[in-house]
Amino acid sequence: MRGGGRFTSLRSRLTVLYAGLFGVALLVTAVAVYASVSANARIQVEQQLTAGGAVFDRVWALKASQLTDSATVLSRDFGFRAAVATNDTPTVESALENLRGRLKIDRAILVGADGVVTGTTGLTETGASELWYALDGGATSGVLTIAGKPYQAVAAPVMAPHLTGWVVFAERLDQSELTALEKLAAIPLSAAVLTHAGDGWSGPGATDRDRRPLSQMVDGAISSTSTRPHAVRGATGEAIALVKPLATFSKERTVLVLRYPLALALAPYRSLMLVLALTGLAGLAVLAVGSWLLARSITRPVSALDEAAHRLQRGEDASVEITTADEIGRLAASFNAMAAGIRDREGRITRMALTDQETGLPNRLALEQALATASGPDLWVAALTVDRFPQVRAAVGYQLAGEMLRELGDRVLTLRPDAVCARLSSERLGLLLPAADADAAGRQVEALLDALAQPVTAGGVTIDIGLTAGLATVVDSHDVPPVERASAALDQARASQRRVAVFDAAAYGDPASKLSMMSEMLDALTDGSISLNYQPKHDIRAGRITGVEALIRWNHPERGFVRPDLFVELAEETGHIRALTRWTLERAIADQAALRAGGHDLMVSVNLSGRLVADEDFADEVIGLVASADCRLCLEITETAVIGSPLLALQIIDRYRAAGLSVSIDDYGSGLSSLAYLKQIQADELKIDKEFVLSLGASARDALLVRSTIDLAHSLGLKIVAEGVETAEALAILSGMGCDLAQGYFIARPMPLSALTDFLEATPAVAKAPAKRRA
Amino acid sequence: MRLLLFCLCVLLAPVPALAGDLVMTVRDGAGRPVPNVVVMVRPAAGVPAGPIRFPWPYTVAQQNIQFDPFVLVVPVGATVGFPNKDKVRHHVYSFSAGNKFELKLFGKDETRSVVFKAVGVAAIGCNIHDAMVGFIRVVDTPWAIKTGADGVATLRGVPAGAATVTVWHPYLRAPKNEVVRKSVFTATGALRESVAIELRAAAPMAGMAH
Repeated sequence: MRGGGRFTSLRSRLTVLYAGLFGVALLVTAVAVYASVSANARIQVEQQLTAGGAVFDRVWALKASQLTDSATVLSRDFGFRAAVATNDTPTVESALENLRGRLKIDRAILVGADGVVTGTTGLTETGASELWYALDGGATSGVLTIAGKPYQAVAAPVMAPHLTGWVVFAERLDQSELTALEKLAAIPLSAAVLTHAGDGWSGPGATDRDRRPLSQMVDGAISSTSTRPHAVRGATGEAIALVKPLATFSKERTVLVLRYPLALALAPYRSLMLVLALTGLAGLAVLAVGSWLLARSITRPVSALDEAAHRLQRGEDASVEITTADEIGRLAASFNAMAAGIRDREGRITRMALTDQETGLPNRLALEQALATASGPDLWVAALTVDRFPQVRAAVGYQLAGEMLRELGDRVLTLRPDAVCARLSSERLGLLLPAADADAAGRQVEALLDALAQPVTAGGVTIDIGLTAGLATVVDSHDVPPVERASAALDQARASQRRVAVFDAAAYGDPASKLSMMSEMLDALTDGSISLNYQPKHDIRAGRITGVEALIRWNHPERGFVRPDLFVELAEETGHIRALTRWTLERAIADQAALRAGGHDLMVSVNLSGRLVADEDFADEVIGLVASADCRLCLEITETAVIGSPLLALQIIDRYRAAGLSVSIDDYGSGLSSLAYLKQIQADELKIDKEFVLSLGASARDALLVRSTIDLAHSLGLKIVAEGVETAEALAILSGMGCDLAQGYFIARPMPLSALTDFLEATPAVAKAPAKRRA
Repeated sequence: MRLLLFCLCVLLAPVPALAGDLVMTVRDGAGRPVPNVVVMVRPAAGVPAGPIRFPWPYTVAQQNIQFDPFVLVVPVGATVGFPNKDKVRHHVYSFSAGNKFELKLFGKDETRSVVFKAVGVAAIGCNIHDAMVGFIRVVDTPWAIKTGADGVATLRGVPAGAATVTVWHPYLRAPKNEVVRKSVFTATGALRESVAIELRAAAPMAGMAH
């Protein structure tokens, strides 16, 4: 029971503990009772045996006395004495026989003082001699062994007048005699007269099986001085035995053994013991059952609590029936209260988790749960948004914007009670509705939008609203979840200026693939699959290549050539542009040094993303990089990039220039070109967008624009670079216009560093080429 | 004193030519003198013919329910008187071979007599009083006497030469209750011998009044 680790149930543990303790107590009692009873029985038997021994002594003496009386009568008879003294053997024999018959004595003999034996004796010569010596030694009573059989014998001397002989009367000590003796005892003891033969003690009343232990016991008893009974283990179990040495007329020692089996002594107690044992066992059974019932009454509520706790753990109903008013009952009550509390809190938390706090509408999670439980082939998710929501929100405030959304949600539910409406994001509502196909869904949503597009009154303000919706089917092979697809469809609808659009997977692309592309791009920066190509810039007046523009190229091992605008845009969106630009700068610095080592001192231009123009940390990085290197770099910046945060951007541009970097305004003329900014940007160079240069020969207007831009730049102190120079004609026109540098396929395509070196070696003066062509 | 007595005895002795004396001392195992031991000498040359006479009376009285003396030595053929000095009557008998007799119930101051014809021992008893036991040693030699209280028996005039000395007591623990020795007597002087004997305890019913 120690530790209790072996019992997994309290019930069996208690039952075994109580029953075990009672059993031990019972066992101890039983052992004590048995020992006490046994000892008591032994003492009684010993007392009885001692008493039996005393009785035997009396009986023996009485019998001896009777025999002696008879023998004495004969020995005193004058005639008999005369016959003995005169050796009148026939007379003596007849007298002996006469008396033997009359007194019914087994043996009557006369032993003469001279050793002559008269009478039917059966004594051997040795026996007769032993008898004479015994009689001569004064023996008058004892056991006489004749032909191996014991007799009780007495002797009476025949005085005629001096000792002439002895009359010896002997009675057989057979089993009947012993039985008679046994009957005199208070207890049913067994008596046996044992004679010591050569190899032990034997005699009637002692079976062969008993012989060995009996012999040992008799030997022990004789050698011991105590006259108390001894224990002996016989064929019938343990017995208590009293050994009384008997006087003999021969050399053979003879003893009387009174035995009483202990089993017999214990017999009267056996029923007591049985009753005791049965009572004990019954008590044990009652106790075991009682313990079991008690334990069950204790453990049943505990088990119920245990089960309820498990149910609570699983989130199921976990109330327990309170059956008692005790500690366990109170525990159950507390448990119920706790379970209820947990249920309440859980419900509250769940509600909170599934509810948009601002509007009280279900949130996106609730919608997704509804989706998970109600998905089917004819279910659609619609994402709704209020057009120009940020502007509206800016106008009415966040609170009213939220109220507006709630109002919209209420309207949806009023219109379509079967739909699930939730707030997906700050400006979007989600809707789960059944529809047979895309057209049906589209029509339903159109109808819904019509119905919803009533002005909303929130906080006393009436807001006119327009709505746009995206639709996505719930069941789609697309990886993106339905709610996201509906949102994407909404984006697609907005982009395509439609009121309702069904999700277009092809247009959506694969965001996951985009993300993986970024991580691959970072790997590519180190493994060499991203490299720089350089497009030479031709100094028209000098007639040679004076610079190159570094252009990033990615030759993906699996995707093949990845378009720069694709991954650069992605890098800008994901913030990886910084690492990409830094890598480009480092590469450009290294390559410039390599070119310089080859005897070509070229200005290297690097495009700086609009995202990085106003990034002070990045500016620090670049300035640090440049300061530690001997380089001549030009950063190409779009004018658009400056518009976002003009003050900071202009300040950083100044820092770049102060650090020795040239700044070039890229793509001038396309996008948002502002003269105001052009004025403020302290640039060194202006690059005319290739849109204008490509059509230079064909469009007079373009030519005019190019010429005036060149003039503008020159007047602002900026060098002018023409991109997209693809023909000798364009180059000639630009040259004529006073353009400083030309860049384009006519000069050279972008090429790797090695090719650039070869190109520079082969055509040290590109200016000659157009000259040649021109010629 | 003993020397004086001895001298007196020597002087008073009859005068057969060439004869000596025997002084036999009988003691028991504990060294105590044993009375009533009969010492008999039988010369190898034989005993002289003629009647044998002893100087003590040949009577066994019954007095105080006892035989007195306990042991009596008589020559063969002697007539022994059995006077009754008790007030009760006695029935004296002997079953001894050759000397069997029975004197039925005789009263006070009556004397019966019996002739003992056979050499040997006559054990006498009283059929009325079991405790009464006495012995009469019938001898055929003149040299026989019983020891006194001092355990000494003195025989005079034993002829010189080889002789058989027999020491007998009714309870002597030996075959025939006697010890037999061969001795050689010298012509003059006393042969001093001693013998140690062991007596059997008296039979339970035989009252030992001596």
